[in-house]
Amino acid sequence: MATRNRKPAKSAQRPAKRKQTAAAVKAGKAAKKRLAAARRADPVVTEIVRNAVVAITEEMKTNLMRTAYSMIIYEAQDFTVGLFTARGEIISIGIGLPTFIRGMGDTVKAMLAHFGEKGIMPGDVLVTNDAYITGSHLNHITLVVPIFDGGKLIAFSTCMAHWADIGGALNVMTRDIFSEGLQVPILKMHSAGKINEDLVAILRMNVRIPERAIGDLHAQIATVQTGARRFHELMKRYGCTQVMNGIAAIMDHSEALARKHVLSIPDGEYEAGSFMDDDGVDAGKRVPIKVKVIVSGDEMTIDLTDVSKQVKGFYNSGEAAGRGCCQVAFKCVTSGMERPINEGSFRPLKIILPAGRVVSATKPAPMRRWMTYPMTVIDTIFKALAPAIPNRVIAGHHAELMTTQLHGHLPDGKMFILSGGGLTGGGWGAKCGADGANATICINDGDTHNSPIEQIEAKYPVEALRYSLREDSGGAGQWQGGLGTEKMVRATDEFVMNSYIERVYCRPWGLFGGHPAAGNQVAVLMAGAEHELHFPSGKVIGRMLKPGDAYILKSGGGGGYGSPLDRPIDKVEEDLREGYISKQRAQACYGLIFDVASGEVDHEATETKRAQLRTISDSVARPEIEDAAIVEADAHAGHSATEHELPEGVAFPLRCC
Amino acid sequence: MQSSDSSRSYRVAADVGGTFTDIVAFDAASGQTFFGKTLTTPGQLVDGIVTGVDKAGASIESARLFLHGSTIAINTVLERSGARTALLTTRGFRDIYEIGRINRPQAYNLFFKKHQPLIKRSLRFEVNERMNARGEVTEALDEAQLVALAAQLRELGIESVAILFFHSYMNPAHEIRARELMEEHCPGVFVSASHELSKEYREFERTSTVAANAYIGPRIKTYLGEIQDRFRKERFDGSFFVVQSNGGLFDVARAQRECIRMLESGPAAGVIGAQVVCDRLGLRNAIAFDMGGTTAKAGVVLNREVMMAGSIMVGGYAEGLPIQIPLIDTQEVGTGGGSIARIEEGGGLRVGPQSAGASPGPVCYNLGGTEPTVTDANLILGRLSADNFLGGEMKLNQAEATQALRNRIAEPMKISLTQAANGIIRIAATTMSNVVTRVTTERGLDAGNFAMVAYGGAGPLHASIVARELSIPQVIIPPSPGHFSAYGMLMADLRWDFVRTWFKPVNLLDFGEFIGIYADLEAQGVRILQRDIDSKRIVCSRAADMRYVGQEHPVTVELPASFFAKPDRIALKQLFDDEHMKRYAFNAPKEPAEIVSLHSSVVGALDKPEAKRLTAPARGRKPVAKPARRKVYFTEDAGFVNTPVYARQNLVAGQRIAGPALVEEYASTTVVFPGDKLEVSKHGDLVITIGRS
Repeated sequence: MATRNRKPAKSAQRPAKRKQTAAAVKAGKAAKKRLAAARRADPVVTEIVRNAVVAITEEMKTNLMRTAYSMIIYEAQDFTVGLFTARGEIISIGIGLPTFIRGMGDTVKAMLAHFGEKGIMPGDVLVTNDAYITGSHLNHITLVVPIFDGGKLIAFSTCMAHWADIGGALNVMTRDIFSEGLQVPILKMHSAGKINEDLVAILRMNVRIPERAIGDLHAQIATVQTGARRFHELMKRYGCTQVMNGIAAIMDHSEALARKHVLSIPDGEYEAGSFMDDDGVDAGKRVPIKVKVIVSGDEMTIDLTDVSKQVKGFYNSGEAAGRGCCQVAFKCVTSGMERPINEGSFRPLKIILPAGRVVSATKPAPMRRWMTYPMTVIDTIFKALAPAIPNRVIAGHHAELMTTQLHGHLPDGKMFILSGGGLTGGGWGAKCGADGANATICINDGDTHNSPIEQIEAKYPVEALRYSLREDSGGAGQWQGGLGTEKMVRATDEFVMNSYIERVYCRPWGLFGGHPAAGNQVAVLMAGAEHELHFPSGKVIGRMLKPGDAYILKSGGGGGYGSPLDRPIDKVEEDLREGYISKQRAQACYGLIFDVASGEVDHEATETKRAQLRTISDSVARPEIEDAAIVEADAHAGHSATEHELPEGVAFPLRCC
Repeated sequence: MQSSDSSRSYRVAADVGGTFTDIVAFDAASGQTFFGKTLTTPGQLVDGIVTGVDKAGASIESARLFLHGSTIAINTVLERSGARTALLTTRGFRDIYEIGRINRPQAYNLFFKKHQPLIKRSLRFEVNERMNARGEVTEALDEAQLVALAAQLRELGIESVAILFFHSYMNPAHEIRARELMEEHCPGVFVSASHELSKEYREFERTSTVAANAYIGPRIKTYLGEIQDRFRKERFDGSFFVVQSNGGLFDVARAQRECIRMLESGPAAGVIGAQVVCDRLGLRNAIAFDMGGTTAKAGVVLNREVMMAGSIMVGGYAEGLPIQIPLIDTQEVGTGGGSIARIEEGGGLRVGPQSAGASPGPVCYNLGGTEPTVTDANLILGRLSADNFLGGEMKLNQAEATQALRNRIAEPMKISLTQAANGIIRIAATTMSNVVTRVTTERGLDAGNFAMVAYGGAGPLHASIVARELSIPQVIIPPSPGHFSAYGMLMADLRWDFVRTWFKPVNLLDFGEFIGIYADLEAQGVRILQRDIDSKRIVCSRAADMRYVGQEHPVTVELPASFFAKPDRIALKQLFDDEHMKRYAFNAPKEPAEIVSLHSSVVGALDKPEAKRLTAPARGRKPVAKPARRKVYFTEDAGFVNTPVYARQNLVAGQRIAGPALVEEYASTTVVFPGDKLEVSKHGDLVITIGRS
């Protein structure tokens, strides 16, 4: 189909010799220096350092989570902590937001460039939320503490956390960065141990709930200082040189591991495309995501040149996010479990990303929902690689945070903002050998939790009526996609609701004959109304809910993998018995025939029907990979948002973007 | 049990683990302590207990008090060998047990797995009823529906029923009524309601807790019943208590209903034992460090009290099932004697988490293991003896161990055999030191201010190295470290912990209501305990979970009796501010705080066996037993050193030994490093002062 799967130019064809530019010479020198350091490293100390840096970033993570004031930090864990070298290379990142894997390193580098090494002093705490540096939105406040050894800058301890509010306009689709809140350029929060009270005053004045913001700020400062203290202790115990040699060696191990995994991928150019529903401004206008992956020997290049140009609505993200997408996808297919997450893992990866794309947006593009598109970019990279490494990728997932943002007033008159409290989780793509996971947070997030309903009900004027798995929402397949969820929440007092759900139309795709899943949805059920009111665009801006009105979030499923006709009958029966799929789906997608008298599955008749259906689906030239998006995107404009059940008799993949 | 019939003078503790059943018996008449170790008998666990008691030289009949801990609860969950269980839950929420918290800790692993509920979807039923967060009924319980459901459950052959209704921690009326109806209409079926186990909010965690209790209930109930039957035949006429995960004892009848409380009985008892050791040595703060064949665990004694936690994940963080009950705060890491050393793909040397376990075991066990382990490394360095392992019952194969280490680690890494062996142990030690860090520095405590009580078969071998990593100044090896959890059981008290969610801003606090809740919880506790103990021996303590308004995760603030003498809000806030500072290195005295839950501990102190004192050497005379000697490797600089090897049973009180030295006993070897100084306490503890290095 649309995938151009140029078959492996054999790995004998090595990449063309690079020109020796000045930068390359410099990089070469740095690499040599690194190599020398790594060679000097004591293998035992190296392993000790490996354990230690993971433990430090874990402790930072626990500390921040346990002391933060905003639910989005303590429960949703919308934050990332890390240790970086004096050059801004990752030593270890504590898992918070995977797609922020790049944001902190780029921020550290920007701070180094801004102050110069000499301008950074012991006792400094550096800060910024510059969206075009972090690649994300203004809510992400990054704090950085330099770590010195005998007056020499050695490393940085860093922390980004999402503030529940950073000012700016509510209840609108922002069109530029200025309407999204306070921008904090690169500054010193503490200068040689002294807090910058002017900056604190500016922050207090510009956010809606200053006590929360300042509480989170304190928690963040304590966190980065803890990281710095632990790193000092490590250097004190083993000596700075030993520790840094160990870190160089760890990076080399990770690089070697990653190269080995890339080498096992057949050389070639792999492309795939997908679409986002729209940018929230030009309703219904699909936004194309096209990626190209080039594998050559032990190096991989991901080219995002053909991803859509930046858009008018707030779905843009910065270059750090675009590069972050590539790094996340790369890590998932090379060394997903390797820890610490460090710079070495990414050395075999080259990224081509010109400025001005929707994931490399430039000022003043609006960025408030920065996290949405990168998830689909990551999935599309997996889709491109599917023909090359069918056993290491997954089908498309729901790729959406599925949040509402609610704001109103508590009985005591205080304003509340509840964002992320609605995280529901959705379906994940099936993969070779296993069904997709049900009800799990999207790939933008990692160890992110939903909030206990009992807690939300105790704190906010809401009452949950339902939180359940969505029957039939996973894509059918030999391995079935995971199920999405449905959450219905009723207002017990009035508040304003916003929700920016994407991928309502452009549903999670299947792989190798697996079916697409149900898309994401949002609806409201007004008090006394009989029917849900759906928002076909998924974007709900400034909707007032009164007591008795309810909103409903339905997250999409994950795509299926392999033909549903190859799914063992007893597995389909079990799904039916447990209520994960309906009888209609068992018949329509899996070809099951039920005995009319007993209601039991007629195995013989089922096999016969499956054989018939196989010939039909084979005659439609079973695509290696489901990638009809580009051709069919327009055809989906009229596609009903609620429709995900399949008509009887359709056993080959439905095409979807 | 207050009777002191001299023919029934024994106090017997049995710790049933996966591999071994450990018995410790204390004879109050003679003051002697006896030990027994026997293989666990999986089919009929009680047989192993009786055999072990015999082996210790005691008898069931002679016991006045029988104390029991077992891995049966946790194993039933992990092995999925529990009862056919149904869940009844509030309408709209039968899937919360499966949805869980939606998190993905292995963020870059596309092949991650979610937790697997113990009750499948088709056996989770929704009931028409609802409370709000204030505990007010917003929809009455549909009793007719429940009666119909009961009939359906009987039809389905359900053996056990778990009940979870929303906000039951505020008002359990619906759960109580549903329970009554189930018991009435499903006779013989095990029924468990969430509020009986946890009165804290968090519906998923409470569901998981009650589901696990119901799932293991029938099996545990039968198991404890079998012990009682067998004991009756053996003419046992004493009291039978089970160890809970909070380290306290509860009576067997209650243990048969609230089975999940015995989940971590073994590890909890170990920490209780460590607390007792601290008391007799006059130590206020200590880390309890337990290292066995597959894991290392750490717990904390702070100001003579054991540190507690509110929940645990059974089966690990990524895929585990949460259990929300009060328990001793222990952290665990998959490093033990059996941990395998490997060179990873990228070229790094890793130790664990793969373990050779007991089978095939380390290479030197000669049971088919081929990959070098931490135990093999200890043997190669001379710290373990090929001939004296398990009192010589098991001979170790040093040649095989050496070959495996040389071929798989030393040569590929181009380092010497001893460098490889020493490296493996150092790496294992830092991994274990990180688990100690998780219970200390992560809680704002400086490990350097603690002593370390080390036990478990492999604890005494590695304690000195772990202590050095963390600048811990003192290590204590109690007698019989291989039986230490059973010993801890012997020293446990009756205990009941209550936690009740009670959201209240400090500035709106009504002390009448506040104290009233504590009084209510304490009255409940006293009612439970006074059946088994004189109420004069019951002591209550209070604490509150508090946080700044806006925060989620609270810190637990101990509320001393002096606070209640003259309770006021400012003092309460001050206690919280101080605790927050201690734990997280910052606080916000100007910000308002709130209470989340109230904790009440009710403890009934049992008589403790007085540890028998070792005989001190006669004045001016050297200890009689002369140590053997062998070559042992401690540091790269010194290489192998001719080292004295003492037999522990020959040591006498007050004896001093300067490192390097080894102390061997039946199931363990203590390594005393060069620079370390060991002194034998009057109770036989090895008190090691760690040398500076």
